[in-house]
Amino acid sequence: MSEGNRQIESTAASWLARRDGVRWSADDQRAFDAWLDSSTAHRVAFLRLDAAWREAGRLKALAAIDDAGTVPKRGAWRRLPYFNLPAHAAGPGRDAKPSGRRRRWLLASAAALFAVVLASGTLLWRATQQVDRSVWTTAVGEQQLVHLADGSAATLSGDTELRVFLGRRERNVDLVRGEALFDVAKDHTRPFVVHASGYRVIAVGTRFDVRQDGNRLRVVVTRGLVRLQPANGNGQDATELPAGSIAQVSAAGVVVRHVSQALAADALSWRDGFADLHDTPLADAVAQFNRYNQRQITIADPALADLRVGGHFRLDNQAAFVRLLEQMFPIHAERQGQGIVLRQAAGTPAAP
Amino acid sequence: MNPDLDAWFEREILMHEPALMRFLHRHWRDHDEVADLRQDVYVRVYDAAARSRPASPKSFLFTVARNLLADRVRRQHVVSITVMGDLDELNVLVDELDPSRFAGSRERLRRLAEVIDQLPARCREVVWLRRVEDLPQKEIARRLGISEKTVEKHIAKGSRLLAARLNAPVPAATTDRGAAVNSLSSDRTT
Repeated sequence: MSEGNRQIESTAASWLARRDGVRWSADDQRAFDAWLDSSTAHRVAFLRLDAAWREAGRLKALAAIDDAGTVPKRGAWRRLPYFNLPAHAAGPGRDAKPSGRRRRWLLASAAALFAVVLASGTLLWRATQQVDRSVWTTAVGEQQLVHLADGSAATLSGDTELRVFLGRRERNVDLVRGEALFDVAKDHTRPFVVHASGYRVIAVGTRFDVRQDGNRLRVVVTRGLVRLQPANGNGQDATELPAGSIAQVSAAGVVVRHVSQALAADALSWRDGFADLHDTPLADAVAQFNRYNQRQITIADPALADLRVGGHFRLDNQAAFVRLLEQMFPIHAERQGQGIVLRQAAGTPAAP
Repeated sequence: MNPDLDAWFEREILMHEPALMRFLHRHWRDHDEVADLRQDVYVRVYDAAARSRPASPKSFLFTVARNLLADRVRRQHVVSITVMGDLDELNVLVDELDPSRFAGSRERLRRLAEVIDQLPARCREVVWLRRVEDLPQKEIARRLGISEKTVEKHIAKGSRLLAARLNAPVPAATTDRGAAVNSLSSDRTT
């Protein structure tokens, strides 16, 4: 809170307390009214405190807890029969969904790790003898959790293709397009390598996300350590990415941001159907939406592609995203058949 | 001075504060500024309602909040629509969220009792004796062996803490999802 507003609230509280006292005179009332009338900011601050203060009067219903005139111990009210009646109106049970989803996700990871321990004996034999190949694709708007034969798991975002080759010495995954989050089962003898946009993203046992948009590549590491190196490099130009790294790779090179692990995890909000954009080029933001919507957005003016956007969006609510772009930027969106074309609008956005 | 307007403001606007706080927390990264934003929203709504009462107070409140955030973003020279998030979430908020505070008198009372329990010890005693036992400030001072001025200070402090905590974003909002959103730091410049 700013100093000014803090001061207003503090003064409002003093008035409230004084008015509540026994020595409240007509002069006090006049001074108080003058204070209220001098600014709407004063009035609303007081009304707000006054409402809460009067709400507290409802507690008189609990006066029966203890002897009159005494203050019961904290939590004593919980013993009152009133609070222990069977609930006829169940509390709000909503919002169980996201946590439920998260729980399933945790279970899935646990299962993957468990499978490694359990099956390591047989896998050892398979690993030395056999190569597993599989191809996984998701359609636009789809999301899929894939369990790989080595016990690792991959969550595929929409419009994504993954080719998996589990060999004796290396576990290779080609991210042909799209984005995937990898939960890698530990296996020191076989590095786990994701190939994307001419880079190798190498992990031993960790959790990281790789996304490829055209020639742009992004790697987010939420656990463990990942090495990022050009596919044709010799390891000297490798970049080490500890947990909490967000690496952006483009023609210009590799840029790594180190953030908290929580913030890194936010970058993976697509799993919950959200896009969390932070200072993201419009082109990247559009690519994320296009993985989730049949109606594809294209950027007609190259000048718009580098516009930075931020925000928290539902990926399936493309309409709201486009509407906001139009409101906040000099952008005009044209609906054309199955697509939306973004162009630079003439002039500047209108005031609200 | 307009007692009708004051009553209207409390009944139609202030009651939505938990939902408003959730909205602001969700759409504005710098949480230190949320209380100021709330205050600005109230000023705008009150002034507008003094001229003419909006037909639908709740949607008016959130429209004002949204416009305020949009103004702020334009003034900061950061090209970001962070604050705007998803406009359609507004409907979710308006329709679903505040019932958890106003679910029923028992739930409301329970919430109130919990909030009172969280007050600092002396402050809690004063608030309890004043609001529940209805003792005059003078008598409270005598019983607790403190000055009347101190009683007054506890009441002032108590009213602020009550307002803040009773109106904290509704618990249903602070699930994983909400927490994740709220944890976004301001990395506007990278």
